[in-house]
Amino acid sequence: MSRVAPTSGSKTLSFIFIALSALLLYLDITYKSFEGIKNSYKSFAISSSYVLKTISIDPLLNIYNLLTDKSKLIKENKKLKLELDESYLSNFIISSDSKFFADDNLIKTFLKKNQITNIFYLAKTKSFDTQLYFCCNQHRLFIEILNKPNNNFVGNSVINSSGIIGQIIYDKGLQEVLLLSDTTHVLPVESGEYFCNARGSGLPGKISCTYSSLIWPVEIIQGQSFYSSGLGGIYPRGILIGHVSQINRIDEVLIEFEIDLISSPLQENIFGVLDRS
Amino acid sequence: MSNISLFKTLLLLYIADYFESLIAPILINAYINLPITFLIFSYIIYKSRSNSGPIFAFSIGLYVDIISDSPIGLNAILFCLMSYLVNSYSNTFRLFSYFQVCLFFSASSLFFIGFKNLFINIDNFSYLELFISFVFNSVFFVLLAIPKFNFLKSGSRR
Repeated sequence: MSRVAPTSGSKTLSFIFIALSALLLYLDITYKSFEGIKNSYKSFAISSSYVLKTISIDPLLNIYNLLTDKSKLIKENKKLKLELDESYLSNFIISSDSKFFADDNLIKTFLKKNQITNIFYLAKTKSFDTQLYFCCNQHRLFIEILNKPNNNFVGNSVINSSGIIGQIIYDKGLQEVLLLSDTTHVLPVESGEYFCNARGSGLPGKISCTYSSLIWPVEIIQGQSFYSSGLGGIYPRGILIGHVSQINRIDEVLIEFEIDLISSPLQENIFGVLDRS
Repeated sequence: MSNISLFKTLLLLYIADYFESLIAPILINAYINLPITFLIFSYIIYKSRSNSGPIFAFSIGLYVDIISDSPIGLNAILFCLMSYLVNSYSNTFRLFSYFQVCLFFSASSLFFIGFKNLFINIDNFSYLELFISFVFNSVFFVLLAIPKFNFLKSGSRR
């Protein structure tokens, strides 16, 4: 049976819906009007997957564990208990709260190495869209701050054990982190006396700077290290951001260079959110 | 294929989106973009016995926008366009060979990738990715359609 070709009425309706979609797209891109809906969906999806895992996979795993060799379990239990005791001893101060299992020593070491005295809050990855991270301009990470106080964390910087990851741009339920490589992110960096606003390139682990050789005659060389300048008041000063990987001459005057970031959001699941006060 | 229920469509698209989110980071290393969700939607309306309305395409597009974290309206536009195109040429497709239909879907996916990248990846817009994706998708669809090719059927009859 053949299908009926679209009538003028359905053509008009198609046109109306295409125009409506274009309007929604414009509103979302320009004014971020639907961020609330998207974040609500993400929170719902994360909660649902957790509940589903608890009621479906966990009982099955328990049954499997019961069926496996008893002696193996006893041996494993002993080993785990030993490790737990060791962990308890090394983390006895924080053992009373819920962040006991999140090891913050790496972040403490990083802060000490960079002489940063700010208080930090431990956070865990809740959702990270690697598809968008590898393909597109939008590089966002969703984290959850453990033992979160009532403060609004928008504008606070997020670090891991190797460096700066980004800054929090949304704080309702989950915290949305704008990563350094997102094309809307600008990070003031410095190297010696040279300053530049490095923009996210949209490529994983890369940011880029453009400068005029008339204004800045000193040549940038491959492998040159860049540090956060502290301008803007979001990120602390003097943290190693990365090294120059590629230098492109756009024209006779303008030069663009890429910086390979030291830190990666894929490296670990634990982050530190620096308190700005 | 008969019309499938709305619930099945939503479930199928959700699974497709999940699957796409798993394989996309791997395929992108080879500059390949395979829009599985879009292709499954296109196949559903292509195989549907009756014309699906623009409201259906719009709603499904919004649903995909939310589950895939795309800007709201992006998939809705493309799904509406695809729905309109398939409905308009649904009878003409009967005159096409399977190879031509494969090329049509490859071209559609090429347009989808290009249009989507204009909004979400404009700074790193890659013609290489478009070209390789087009070639890959064409070959992939032809491989999927091989069991339907007539020369194989007639060969097996002999």
